[in-house]
Amino acid sequence: MKNESWQKLVEGVCEGKPRALARLISRVESRTPGWQQAMKALYPRTGKARILGITGSPGAGKSSLVSRLAAGFVERGHRVGVIAVDPSSPFSGGALLGDRLRMREVATTPDVYIRSMATRGSLGGLAQGTRDVSRVLDAAGYDLVLIETVGVGQDEIEIVKAADVVALVCVPGQGDSVQALKAGVMEIADLFVVNKADRDGADQVVADIRGMLALAGDDSGDLERVFSTNALSGEGLDALIDALSVRAERLPQAPDRAGERVRDELLTLLESGIARRLRARIAADGRLEAAVEQIRTRQSDPYTLAEALLADLAGLEAESHD
Amino acid sequence: MESEQKVRVLVAKPGLDGHDRGARVIAYGLRDAGFEVIYTGLRQSPEQIAREAIQEDVDVIGLSILSGAHLALTKKVLELLREQGAEDIPVLVGGLIPESDKEVLRELGVAGIFTAGTPISEVAAFITSQLLAA
Amino acid sequence: MSRSREEIERIERAEASWRKDVVEPRVQRFKIPASPTRFYTPTAQRDFDFLEKVGFPGQYPFTAGNNPFEAWRAHAEAGARLGIRPDYGASSAGRYGGYGTAEDYRDYLRAMQARGSRGGPNVAFDLATQCGYDSDSPNALGEVGRVGVAIDSYRDFRVVYETFTGERDIDKVASNFTINAPCAVILAMLAALADERRISPSKLRGTPQNDILKEFIARGTYIYPPRESMRLFRDTLVFCRNHMPAMNVNSIGGYHIREAGATRVQDLAFSLANGIAYLQEGVNAGLSVDDFAAKFTFNAFGGSMQVYHEIAFQRAARRMWARIVKEQFGARAPRAMMIRQPIAAHIGCTSTTLQRPLNNIARSVMGGMAAGMSGGMPSAYPPFDEPLGLGHSLESIQLQIDASRIMIYEAGIGNVNDPWAGSYFMESLTDEIEAAAQQELDRIAEMGGAVAAIESGYMQRAVAQSAYERQRRIESGEDFVVGVNCFTGENELDLALEHTAIELYDPEHLRSAEERQLAKLAALKRTRSSTAVSRSLTALEQEAKDTNANVMPALIECVKNDATLQEICDVLRGVFGEAEPVKL
Repeated sequence: MKNESWQKLVEGVCEGKPRALARLISRVESRTPGWQQAMKALYPRTGKARILGITGSPGAGKSSLVSRLAAGFVERGHRVGVIAVDPSSPFSGGALLGDRLRMREVATTPDVYIRSMATRGSLGGLAQGTRDVSRVLDAAGYDLVLIETVGVGQDEIEIVKAADVVALVCVPGQGDSVQALKAGVMEIADLFVVNKADRDGADQVVADIRGMLALAGDDSGDLERVFSTNALSGEGLDALIDALSVRAERLPQAPDRAGERVRDELLTLLESGIARRLRARIAADGRLEAAVEQIRTRQSDPYTLAEALLADLAGLEAESHD
Repeated sequence: MESEQKVRVLVAKPGLDGHDRGARVIAYGLRDAGFEVIYTGLRQSPEQIAREAIQEDVDVIGLSILSGAHLALTKKVLELLREQGAEDIPVLVGGLIPESDKEVLRELGVAGIFTAGTPISEVAAFITSQLLAA
Repeated sequence: MSRSREEIERIERAEASWRKDVVEPRVQRFKIPASPTRFYTPTAQRDFDFLEKVGFPGQYPFTAGNNPFEAWRAHAEAGARLGIRPDYGASSAGRYGGYGTAEDYRDYLRAMQARGSRGGPNVAFDLATQCGYDSDSPNALGEVGRVGVAIDSYRDFRVVYETFTGERDIDKVASNFTINAPCAVILAMLAALADERRISPSKLRGTPQNDILKEFIARGTYIYPPRESMRLFRDTLVFCRNHMPAMNVNSIGGYHIREAGATRVQDLAFSLANGIAYLQEGVNAGLSVDDFAAKFTFNAFGGSMQVYHEIAFQRAARRMWARIVKEQFGARAPRAMMIRQPIAAHIGCTSTTLQRPLNNIARSVMGGMAAGMSGGMPSAYPPFDEPLGLGHSLESIQLQIDASRIMIYEAGIGNVNDPWAGSYFMESLTDEIEAAAQQELDRIAEMGGAVAAIESGYMQRAVAQSAYERQRRIESGEDFVVGVNCFTGENELDLALEHTAIELYDPEHLRSAEERQLAKLAALKRTRSSTAVSRSLTALEQEAKDTNANVMPALIECVKNDATLQEICDVLRGVFGEAEPVKL
């Protein structure tokens, strides 16, 4: 099983074999040689899936919410993929992926596929990894992909690059729900979900968010942006699912955002590709070590040598010095 | 974006046994040993375990059982893995396993048995050197 | 012990010169980086107020013990002359046990009685029962009758008590139930049994564990979410006070939380926080704290090899609980302020090792010493073969009992009440543990109390983290465990002892238990009145939905009509929902 060709795996994915899907996701995630060919082969089969990003700070109940959403969408005839992301340890490189523990409801639902992913400190960040895995799920016939992110810092912003619709989950009683709003996360969220709505202060949080949206000159027009839910009891879930569905369906009408995402993806691929190849080249032919030595012995400086290498390797001229 | 292969381990407690100190310690420990641990916790049915193992494409399944129900539950998990074409995923069992049952488990197809108190480093080493080098 | 400032200064000066003239040179001579000298003087307790901090045994704040003497102490000499052999277990209940079907367990109890056991049933239930499932549930695979007896219905429950008649009827022996989530159902069965036997329930004695909060933290056999579980607790509490006033209400915290990996401070703080939550339920229900708090018990605080610390822990725990019940809850009756603990300090099963198991005897003696010096009965628990997982052999039990006897009769460990009272060291250590636990308790109060701290996963994560840290310290060698991570050279002997496994539990019976239980369940469903069952289940649902109602009467109706445990628990699942696991 381990050494199957990517062609076999792609075939398996197209035939709906769960193990092939799982194995291909692993290879794509790990950038195992052949992954790009696999993505190229699958690309024509993609484009149908809508990607919904669920973000928000720890303790907001994202996983329970995602589980409920998945169940709700399946009831409406969808096939749902779930990607649950957790941070890798910066020290050991390992990770504790514990989100599916809260998704028992859909753990054995046939039309739900759950995959836990670690951030792995990859250069492209959250966006690239989840983007690719979403595509594989898309090709496998899952028409909705829910991505649950860590919800701390950079990842909350990153998610917008991979998702069509982004929902920010807040919870009453966490002093930082308003903080999160101030941190600029507001700009990236299409929807705001106040979860654990049975708690004291829920109404206040809803009011606070609406207030901030008004201040920011909310221009979403006819669409409601703030929702109250109780993931455990199911209250408010239907309205949220409706809202997410409506937004997901409207997407082809919002080409500028889609265009931006494609642009970003292409650039990311180019950047990481170039970086990889440059590294490999100058390491292999000794130029890297030679440059390091020159800088160390103060015969030259990093700026000059970097420019020289770039000009040489990539035909890139020195940047303007304005 | 460079990424690399990580060892993915499923840590689950099948059955109704609720003592999860060992499972949690192993989960943290394997994370700190550089593995990606999919920790699914208590009350996992054999069906859930098999499905999780396949979806997550784990390299190893770790079952923690202290209630004495290890024979029935392990057998069911192995059966389901076989049915779903995933019998190549090695299964390790940890917890309170009497000597007499260890041989039975091995005969069922369990790849390793770790009684409570086994150092985490030993488990990690077993996984990397025995299971995955093969 | 409060000292004058002059005296303190004199001692401080003397200490300073001692360090310089005696300690330092010695450290230099031995060429070690730091001095291992630890010595406490009056300066550590300059404001010590004896009556406030310690008081007298049997009086607030109970630091020195609950009573001027304990029952075991009063009867010690007589017990020795009569050669009494303890049926180990709590108070007048028999040995903790249970396995297989109710018939298997009943036969075992009969065999115990034939051997001279005079206690009541001290019941271990199987995991399916503990989690509110019937033996035919797919969730029960492999679990039926394994860690305890399978009770699917009142019929099974009644069978267990078949040998408890006449001199040993349920009004004369105590029943202990290690049951938590479906405790209300088991108590309903007990009430039904009393009714059937025309015994006044006011005569029933015993202790249900009934401590659902620690299940979320440490033991895992929960069913309903924390808040809804507290509703059930309230109903059992009120019912017990009104109808079974001689029964204890619960056995709180302690043991399990520590065994799950909690530090001593976490154990104390979380147990007290849980206790506070239970007390609050009683108060909210309009009960008098003087009345019901006196029926709370605690489950074996203890759980490490650090003798001094475990002694200080017991003292701090008693003092803290007394103060909480008195000052926070306004109790006036001394009996309401006591920590009633059938089993006192001990090392905990997780302190025993699989390697060189006979060493566990030396270990358990440490626990017994800590108990004897902190107001408990010296007991060398657990028996050395605990970690082997095969049940305790006759040999190990004999060694345990004899070790306990030696501590009591030869060493006289328990002959002095709170022997460490007034020790500069012990009082400081007690204060330290109390302060640390208080800090943790305050943190939990800020979160909204024990229930909130459990819902957010705070307590669970804290315990898991401590467990991990302990493992790391053992694996790194920072914590020494003899025969495990040190002194493991080739020249060390691994002593084996031929032992006779108890085999009270017929293994053949255990193997067929699931089959037999399923047959009984099928027969039950055939022979009972299904209309009566569904009627009583519907009535139960109504009561459960009304948060002001007490479900106990409806539960009693259900069990009398032979509704199964799962049928009952499922109705409650429908109303309360099920608990969700928390993330690590």
